[in-house]
Amino acid sequence: MAIEHTGDIALELSDVVAGYGQMTILNGTSFKVPEGSITTVIGPNGAGKSTVFKTIYGMLRARTGKVVFHGKDVTNWTPRRLLEAGICYIPQGRNIFPQLSVRHNIELGAVAAGRGISDIGQRIEKGLDRFPALRRKANQQASTLSGGEQKQLEIVRGLLLDPRLVLIDEPSIGLSPLMVQETFAILTELRNQGVAILMIEQNARSALAMSDYGIVLELGQTRIFDRAEAILADPRVAALFLGGAITPAGG
Amino acid sequence: MSTLISLIVSGCATGAIYALVAIGFTLLWQTSQTINFAQGEFVMLPAFFMLAGMNMGMPFWLAILVGTAISVAILGAAFKRALVDPMLRHGALPLAIATMALSIMMKEGVKEFYGAEAQPFPSLIPAIDLHFLGATISTQSLGLLAVGVAAVLALQYLLNSTSVGRQMQATAQNPNVARILGIPVERMVMYSFIINAILVSVASVLVTPLYLAKFSSGETLGLAAFIAAIVGGFNQVRGAILGGILLGITDNLAATYISTQYRSAVPLALLIAVILFRPQGLLGTAEERTV
Repeated sequence: MAIEHTGDIALELSDVVAGYGQMTILNGTSFKVPEGSITTVIGPNGAGKSTVFKTIYGMLRARTGKVVFHGKDVTNWTPRRLLEAGICYIPQGRNIFPQLSVRHNIELGAVAAGRGISDIGQRIEKGLDRFPALRRKANQQASTLSGGEQKQLEIVRGLLLDPRLVLIDEPSIGLSPLMVQETFAILTELRNQGVAILMIEQNARSALAMSDYGIVLELGQTRIFDRAEAILADPRVAALFLGGAITPAGG
Repeated sequence: MSTLISLIVSGCATGAIYALVAIGFTLLWQTSQTINFAQGEFVMLPAFFMLAGMNMGMPFWLAILVGTAISVAILGAAFKRALVDPMLRHGALPLAIATMALSIMMKEGVKEFYGAEAQPFPSLIPAIDLHFLGATISTQSLGLLAVGVAAVLALQYLLNSTSVGRQMQATAQNPNVARILGIPVERMVMYSFIINAILVSVASVLVTPLYLAKFSSGETLGLAAFIAAIVGGFNQVRGAILGGILLGITDNLAATYISTQYRSAVPLALLIAVILFRPQGLLGTAEERTV
């Protein structure tokens, strides 16, 4: 199933094929992420959710197909070029440099900009202002942060270069319910500022409830691509969550 | 008491050299999982480059600069490109074995080109005995210590107070995330090989006047630095510094107060004790790895 978007498209994947070694994970994945929207990717284990992100972000080579960002073909660009173009990727798990201070961890989010931006100090302060816990521990080793604080650090660091598209993989994993709410609130705020968010989330119902669009991936293909509320109401999705397979679109 | 002071000062001086070489071990391990068993030979070789320069008529200072530059090219960049990169694809163990082969090749190569005879090497620091609180301290020991400390401070400044240094640390601590943030990981790894080449060149200039330039002169030093790195903590630069100094002092004290015959057994006993009771090293941190 597909829907037509009337607004600008931040990211478009067309027939992307990618995988590891001999194994193909993405079998012609296609979808669009509208500008200023939250789009959540759901699907069973092994559907290729994280692989999609790695392929968009140049960590895994797309064998065929195209990744277009704001009208520009960015297929197989390096992470550094993609960062410069305005895409940031916050992967699953804890992604910090444990022995560096919190401030230095955040500062490294600006490496891709080189000397291109002069107000890095101010941007870091702004990020720290937003999270009092990070501000308090700014000069401590990042390993002293709690799981939720580490995720906050990753978000501040990811937003340092004002990205236009945020790829965020399982932001709620290992976080307290309060911290999950806070993280989702930040993503909603970003969306309201015009940033496109593409999110993978195991907590599918909560994620779709705050999203504008949803994508259901199965076996590396887009099975459903629709408005989030329509996906939530779709009985086939419920069947998927219960472990059943869904019928391919149009099949 | 005066003997003890002399022993500690000269132990610190020897330890500073161990520390320089041990830091190289930890840098390469942290950034690329390379255990370089040719590290001792890496200290032996720059002295021969410098001797070659002097034989060609270069003044000592110029020979040091040229020798260091050649070492950076060969023991830094070429070592990484020609041996580490292709072997690391097969794992850390094949690479470690390849570095053992490299160590034999380097020793035999030097023996072939320069002969097996030990060759004198000029000292950067004149040997004058100073007397302090009844102890006799050589200016060479003080000089070694000063140059060693200066090199360590310079490295610490680079790693902790510059953006490149922090990018190197980030690469060592989490290369995957470093790549995601656009840090040029490959370049950072190359920098660590270049820094190692500079450190072994400095160690070579400091140590060769004492032990003479000989194809086998890296054997003992390489082993001592390896032990120092493990004792201090293989994943910490400051651990390598502590391990080096500790080993230098222990070595000196053991030779004087225990027995010269058992001198070389003491560092090994220290190594065994650390592996048994604190396997991550004195300042090291435990690491988890998927095997």
